[in-house]
Amino acid sequence: MRRFKEKLSGRIFFVLALSSISALALITVFIVAKGAPIFVKVGVRDFVFGMSWAPGHGEFGIFPMIVGTLSVTLGAAVLGVPLGICCSIFLTEFAPSVLKSVFRPAIQLLAGIPSVVYGFWGLIFVVPFIRDRIGGPGLSILAGSVILAIMILPTVIMISEVSILALPRQYKQNALALGLTHWQTIRSVMLPAAKSGIVAAVILGVGRAVGETMAVIMVLGNAVALPKSILDPVRTLTTNIGIEMGYASGEHQQALFATGIVLFILIMILNSAAQFITRRK
Amino acid sequence: MRKTSPAISFLTICLVCLVFASSCGRQNADVIVAGSTSVQPYAEILAEEYERLYPGNAVDVQGGGSAAGITAVQSGAADIGMSSRALKDGEKSLWSVEIAKDGLAIVVNPQNPVTDLTLEQIRKIYSAEITDWSEAGGTRAKIHIITREEGSGTRSAFEDLVMAGGRISAGAIVQDSNGTVRQLVSSDKNSIGFISLGLVDGTVKAVSLGGVEASAANIENGAYGLSRPFLFVCLGEPEGRARQFIDFVLSGEGQRVLTHEGLIPRAEGAVK
Amino acid sequence: MSPQPKFVIKNLSFYYGGKRAIHDLSLDIAANEILSVIGPANSGVTTLLRALNRLGDLVPGARMEGEILMDGKSVYDPDVSVTELRRKIGMVFEVPTPLPMSIFDNVAYGPRLIGKANGKSVAESVERVLRKAALWDDVKDRLKTPAMSLSGGQQQRLCFARVLALDPEVVLLDRPCSGLDPISTAKIEESLSQLKEQYTIVVAPHNVQQAARISDRVAFMLTGSLIEENRNVEIFSRPKDQRTSDYVTGRFG
Repeated sequence: MRRFKEKLSGRIFFVLALSSISALALITVFIVAKGAPIFVKVGVRDFVFGMSWAPGHGEFGIFPMIVGTLSVTLGAAVLGVPLGICCSIFLTEFAPSVLKSVFRPAIQLLAGIPSVVYGFWGLIFVVPFIRDRIGGPGLSILAGSVILAIMILPTVIMISEVSILALPRQYKQNALALGLTHWQTIRSVMLPAAKSGIVAAVILGVGRAVGETMAVIMVLGNAVALPKSILDPVRTLTTNIGIEMGYASGEHQQALFATGIVLFILIMILNSAAQFITRRK
Repeated sequence: MRKTSPAISFLTICLVCLVFASSCGRQNADVIVAGSTSVQPYAEILAEEYERLYPGNAVDVQGGGSAAGITAVQSGAADIGMSSRALKDGEKSLWSVEIAKDGLAIVVNPQNPVTDLTLEQIRKIYSAEITDWSEAGGTRAKIHIITREEGSGTRSAFEDLVMAGGRISAGAIVQDSNGTVRQLVSSDKNSIGFISLGLVDGTVKAVSLGGVEASAANIENGAYGLSRPFLFVCLGEPEGRARQFIDFVLSGEGQRVLTHEGLIPRAEGAVK
Repeated sequence: MSPQPKFVIKNLSFYYGGKRAIHDLSLDIAANEILSVIGPANSGVTTLLRALNRLGDLVPGARMEGEILMDGKSVYDPDVSVTELRRKIGMVFEVPTPLPMSIFDNVAYGPRLIGKANGKSVAESVERVLRKAALWDDVKDRLKTPAMSLSGGQQQRLCFARVLALDPEVVLLDRPCSGLDPISTAKIEESLSQLKEQYTIVVAPHNVQQAARISDRVAFMLTGSLIEENRNVEIFSRPKDQRTSDYVTGRFG
């Protein structure tokens, strides 16, 4: 009886594991099946590098959206990554435990805020600020980058922190025993040693930024043109799908699924990079 | 056989209840109305009035845009679709009725000195031939164009009535409802947008068109040219509760509600 | 007649929070000698070493009473720079920890950081200390390879060389040879005997036999107190205290 139960539970777990993989497979197959026809009709090159997105006129070029995704994500990385790494260093090396016990829950809370709330806050606060103090309509790459930078902070901070804490204690002791100051120890010994973990944290944060839709749909302005400055409104691959899926049909819908394929590939590349780097350590 | 654990029994009961409950909801058969965000606020007021007069008949109003509404009707997801533009060629097989006429207002920020624009100027602004307010009678500032998403009936109406075959500039900011366009225009001094006339309030300013003020009266007498029909669309001839609601909207009472809210009552004989 | 001791420790007590690790310890450490500090686990041997280079400061809640004087000046004087102190008092730890860089960079790291970095003299210092640590012959052809690729014994000698590169006056070694093979152990012990002419060396050996092999003087500690301290020969053949005798003969440990 016991052996039967062992085998049964093994089989049940196997089936459950399979079902999660099959969900992934189903989604992939669905997206590819729905989206591939447009690649045939329009041509992969014209689709990916086409400059004009006007479904009403039968034009399906997503290059401006690719630029949108890349620029908003890059902006988020530039703003969020240094801040996040500095915060993690502060938490691990400098913060007194009182501050730590306030900081950590606060950062976890930040991670738990729904993205639509971020978007709303951005619309009410960040967009008018940019419009009145800096320039342009406020709905812009800059607004999106600011929102996303804050959203990826918890990821970057928490994973970097773990990487630094995982360093063997001896690294720090040895460095200090050599007469290095605290800051020299951090900069020249601990950070280089924790480098692969920190890079993984950055890539995961960036991956989150690439896939984010709700938070940025409200603050980017969603213009289909190629942006010329960070104050210009822009559309990302994700927001393109988000805005138009509700009513798209026929070729238009296929084109949106094809946009999904492009996104899929982008995120797969990012995830593989993260895995590769962490494994090398 | 061992005793079934209490947890499993509890979960099974919950599951069964859920199954029954889900079928219960549907029995009340809300009439589902979906589509144009321009029509939506009026449909909601009509629904409230309808439910007040005929308690027990629920009407569920959703947005999504004219194209989404028509798609929903075609797929059966909604009983009635709302559209703020005339039906296109591929949609002419659907049943539709005009419930009212709405004006299309071109709005700017109240602080903008510009109060009047010609149709030609508006077209040039939206196609980015004119890029600075000073070229249209205002102070020097870059114009921020705001448009609706492609599936919007309001946008379709605008393109038909104003753009005359030309394209709206690709650099225009896109927002997904009348409400968000209005909110944006009210906070950005240099913006321009188009919304349903009935939704113009104190937060934005509707420009007059070549000297003609944007008002219901001017639409009825034909002086203000930017108007479009509000349609209710169904897959076929409506029946049952959907028919009842539509009859209410078309009745004297329903039309009175709409006129009260700022729409232009439908021309008689507009039923297809 | 005997020259001034390198370290004078007077009535040292060291606390970690509420727990007392060292109890009223007084000891002189002579310059240019090898002192072994022996004792069973938890005797305070490591604590004593870390009190000398103030590494004990890192533990939260650490507190000391008494005095530690190096060359007549208190190590805990407010105007003493801790980083300077730690360069003068180098430490080799039990677990070899090469930095994640090449062999050359590991050794050059310290001198570069304190500004003694112009190419030629750095290369010369690196060679010099690698010879002192008896590692030069092993690595001279692969200085740029990662330090992690060395064996345990070689890594430990590398750590030794790293400390020497900073030109210290004192070298502390906390169980330097535990876990090393006999050959590496012998090489390190041989280096120590040659180096004592230049440095003051304090070792906490991982077994009593090593103390017997290398030390000039031996100090025996038990549960935080200093029991006995004397020349090597005396401690091992004519210990004054019964507990010392029991420990060195292996009756407990």
